[in-house]
Amino acid sequence: MSIPTFILRRAGSLVLVLLVTSFVVFGLMYLAPGSPLSFVLGPRGGTPEQIAQVTAQYHLDDPFFLRYIAWVGDVLRGDLGNSIVYRQSVSDLIEGRAGTTLALISMATVIIAIVGIGFGLLASLRGGWIDQVVTTVATLGLATPTFVIGVALISMFAVGLGWFPTNGSGSGGFNTLVHLTLPAIALSVASAAYLARITRASVLEEKEREHVQTAVARGLRSPIIIRRHVLRNSLIPITTVMGLTIATLVAGAVVIENVFALDGLGSLLVRAILQRDFAIVQAVILVLVVAFVVINAIVDFLYTLIDPRISLGSRQ
Amino acid sequence: MLKPRLLIVGTFITASLILTSCADSNSGGAGQSTLDIDFSKLATTTESGAGTVDRVTWNLPYEPLSLDPMHTFNYAENTVDANLCEGLTRLTPELTEENALAESVANPDPQTYIYTIRDGVTFWDGSALTADDVVYSLERQLGPGSTTYWTDYFLNVASVEKTADREVTIKLTQPDVLFAQAMSTAAGAIVSQSAAVAAGEAFGTPRGGLQCTGPFSLTSWEPGKAITLSKNPHYWDTDLIPLVEQISFSFIADETTAINALRSGDIDGQYFYLPPAGLSQLNSDNTTTTYGKSYVFWTLRALQETGTFAQPEVRAALLAALDRQAIADVVFQGAALPAPTLTGPDYFGSGPEAELFQEALDSYNTDPDLDRARELLAQAGDISEPIVIAVQGSSAVHEQTVNLIQAAGQAIGLKIEIRVIPVEQYGNIYVDPKAREGLDGFLTTYYGNVPDPLDIYAIFTPGGAYNFTNYNQAGEFIEEARQTLDPVARAEPTIQAQELVTRDLPWTPLNYMPNILVQNKRISGAAASIAYLSYPWAATIGGQQ
Repeated sequence: MSIPTFILRRAGSLVLVLLVTSFVVFGLMYLAPGSPLSFVLGPRGGTPEQIAQVTAQYHLDDPFFLRYIAWVGDVLRGDLGNSIVYRQSVSDLIEGRAGTTLALISMATVIIAIVGIGFGLLASLRGGWIDQVVTTVATLGLATPTFVIGVALISMFAVGLGWFPTNGSGSGGFNTLVHLTLPAIALSVASAAYLARITRASVLEEKEREHVQTAVARGLRSPIIIRRHVLRNSLIPITTVMGLTIATLVAGAVVIENVFALDGLGSLLVRAILQRDFAIVQAVILVLVVAFVVINAIVDFLYTLIDPRISLGSRQ
Repeated sequence: MLKPRLLIVGTFITASLILTSCADSNSGGAGQSTLDIDFSKLATTTESGAGTVDRVTWNLPYEPLSLDPMHTFNYAENTVDANLCEGLTRLTPELTEENALAESVANPDPQTYIYTIRDGVTFWDGSALTADDVVYSLERQLGPGSTTYWTDYFLNVASVEKTADREVTIKLTQPDVLFAQAMSTAAGAIVSQSAAVAAGEAFGTPRGGLQCTGPFSLTSWEPGKAITLSKNPHYWDTDLIPLVEQISFSFIADETTAINALRSGDIDGQYFYLPPAGLSQLNSDNTTTTYGKSYVFWTLRALQETGTFAQPEVRAALLAALDRQAIADVVFQGAALPAPTLTGPDYFGSGPEAELFQEALDSYNTDPDLDRARELLAQAGDISEPIVIAVQGSSAVHEQTVNLIQAAGQAIGLKIEIRVIPVEQYGNIYVDPKAREGLDGFLTTYYGNVPDPLDIYAIFTPGGAYNFTNYNQAGEFIEEARQTLDPVARAEPTIQAQELVTRDLPWTPLNYMPNILVQNKRISGAAASIAYLSYPWAATIGGQQ
């Protein structure tokens, strides 16, 4: 498949996925109990007149399909709608926060790649007690909930040693890097541990393969065998796992952004769900779905680079 | 050989991390550490700060939804707004009233208030405060179409008019002392008409900005991140020109993170409205904790006009069986007092009326009395239907309290069911009658806005918007009190209303809670009392030597 066809096909399925997701999310939000009323009217509640007025103003009583179609129409015109609770446009709210989440996930991805692949290789190539230690640490890392790691990192490196700030995303540049270090570490622990195990397993598997054994028998130098024969073949499962991991990082970011009080999409989404702020929930979920689909497309594309025998967009 | 060592160190660090985090959650959640508080000496201010400070970082328990004073009736919003926007009068940290933007207030007859506006006051943008701004700010809160959160206080306003260059006259349809008192809260805050009209719906949001006259001006609001205020060097009240150049608010909702940020010095201070689990962790650190006078109380509110819990005798029996001291000790770790009535001493004001209220308060007893509880229950009708009490999910304070209530009910033969409602739906109980269906009562903290118990008892006005159970026994006294301008004369009908409310318990008083203020030792001077919700509490912060 040529690259333009691949992109077109992916774009087509993206639109379909977006349509289905938005319908499901809208439906779920509609069915869930609660309404944004209590947040619009304040903690005292409102007079019956005020309740009626706000309900009419924001079409809170309109039937489901009417509201959904109106929303789709707005989105097609490039209008993500207004947040009822914040009295602001949703695109403004998202714009300010997407950067933080993007930076956080990028940092976590780099950490996961380096630590996960690094330790996986170390364990599989060195073997012995190193392998055991890595496997044990990886199990621990996988088993510890993200928020526990977050809180532990804060008490140790922020409160105890004072090396890092306890919260916030900083003022940009290096400052942001420092602010996001602990959250990114907390976010990457479980995934790095998982990737280390996958890397270890797939390298071990490749090492036993016939062509590797043949290469060893032919007396090739071991670094060359590892680079050309073992690593190259292990990269497919490693890339797959990396791709899936980045996608799940978005979910992990929701927790971490709350623990570290970061102004990301995750914390925005959680608050919006709690406040029944339809427009924000819809928009953030759409952004996440787009990110998910794009990451998957990139992973597919990487396959063909790693192994030219795999054709673009094939489902093997 | 370096790598294996690193690995061992790594393993050790991981293990110790897990251990520390466990230790943390243990010390936080056990609830055994009792805070040492002298309730007879609750603070109003903290030691004045000396010298200027470049920057203070303050934490809010959540991000405000709006800073338009008309839409601020909650902790985070008012914490910020109190430094930005001010009214014709204001509440001092000592919980008394004084003139602010009004140079003088005349009250020629019970239904007329004439405010003379202080000369030379300017908004942050340099434009002068005019009578038109005052008229605009109050008028936009009138009528059923207004979305103001302060409806109750404007019920009896007939007209707001500019009667001279610097004079605004307000006519009421009937005397209403609560209206005049509320002018010292955000309900009476004056905003710039031109700025508010220009911003429209966006006024008070990150995009629409704000324009007021307070000692700090709004510099920026980065959604999700921070609200930053800067010193207003041209503030009219020379006693309250800030020593702090900039104050920046963060929005750490997670209490553990907030406590950690206070311990590390990342934030310089915070007001807490419920005693957080980790407050005791702060004692030995670089912070000072102050307990201030407060209007906040913890209450079990009835929701229905029928059912077991709708009977006053049942509520009285349950309360008599309940150990309010135990709630204070166990649930609030000592940071609460048993409440005999809804309104505690901090509501009583400073005049001779305070003595009358104190006397009335002293006539009640909060000791549990099982015999009396059984006696009361015997007078009640059918009590076979269980009582369903709603509590807020993921709140230890709610769940622990309701467990004690359930045990108290069980001791006298009342069946109490607990309905845990997720925090996201809890607010709907106030707004949506459908959300109240099937619930007999719910737990909530509440606070009044002015130093007068009437402010709370006025909730039980027959037909009142927030009088969910339509409690009407005290209506006459409330009406009389509301129309009695003399505070001493007003105390009498207020106390009579209190007597009835405390007998019938449409809201059950559980505990009074102090205002908790935590400041980093590098600063001092923030107001310690609940007045921080309407008084520029940050204007007095300075460096600490």
